[in-house]
Amino acid sequence: MTDTIDKLAMYLSGGLLLLGVVVSGLIEVLAGHPYGAAPQTNEAGEVIASPAIDPNIRTALVVAALLVMLLYAIYKLATPIEEETGAAATASTSD
Amino acid sequence: MSHNTQTATNTGFSFQVSGTWGAYWVAMLRVLTGWWFFHSGIGKILDSGLSYGYASVYLDGMGGTTLGPIATFLAGYPDIVGAMVPLFETLIGLALIAGLLTRLASFGGVIFMSLFWVGNAEFGHGLVNSDLMGMLLFITMIVFAAGRYYGLDAFVEKLSFVQNNPKLKYLLG
Repeated sequence: MTDTIDKLAMYLSGGLLLLGVVVSGLIEVLAGHPYGAAPQTNEAGEVIASPAIDPNIRTALVVAALLVMLLYAIYKLATPIEEETGAAATASTSD
Repeated sequence: MSHNTQTATNTGFSFQVSGTWGAYWVAMLRVLTGWWFFHSGIGKILDSGLSYGYASVYLDGMGGTTLGPIATFLAGYPDIVGAMVPLFETLIGLALIAGLLTRLASFGGVIFMSLFWVGNAEFGHGLVNSDLMGMLLFITMIVFAAGRYYGLDAFVEKLSFVQNNPKLKYLLG
């Protein structure tokens, strides 16, 4: 059960992080100017190219990943600590 | 967590922060990240005490961003946030430098950096900027329990009080 929730938290938070930063960033590059999250302006300060994806969507995906990690942390606090199995029974960074 | 750290990555390689350089570098990251926040916080305290007026202005300007509702709500309490920002920046920095309550302090750091990252939403240098990197550093401190390496948490976690209440390791470490 714990391993399943561990994996779920890792895949979900990791997926959201990669989607918000890398995948959407790649889409921005492929979509042409401005290649990034900030609008491109000319010398007069007029916007000549806007991002293909609203930066708020990308930040929301990353914030959602943080929320998944927070929920996982709350879950860990709320459930009993399991004894570590296997050869390495010393304290690991995960506990 | 129930797992075997020797095969944690399923690639035939173990991943532990037990090597001399690994532990040393995690500790270095922790102390430098701590100094970054301590310096930011103590500078504000020396300049304006516990009444950092720009905090509420900054939060108020976050309207329309992903964290806008939370930020504008906090901006309604300028006296509180004006005191909390310099105080918590300083405390988070000190905690990381000492390696005490590292995970709790790093959680606070993630909150701060989330607000910095989303609030500085111009993203003129891309979505991956120094604010996002700072946030990732704090998450790294939590994941690697950075206070256990050359930090006071290594000693605190051995106290009988913590041994009897092992969940405290989620705040220490």
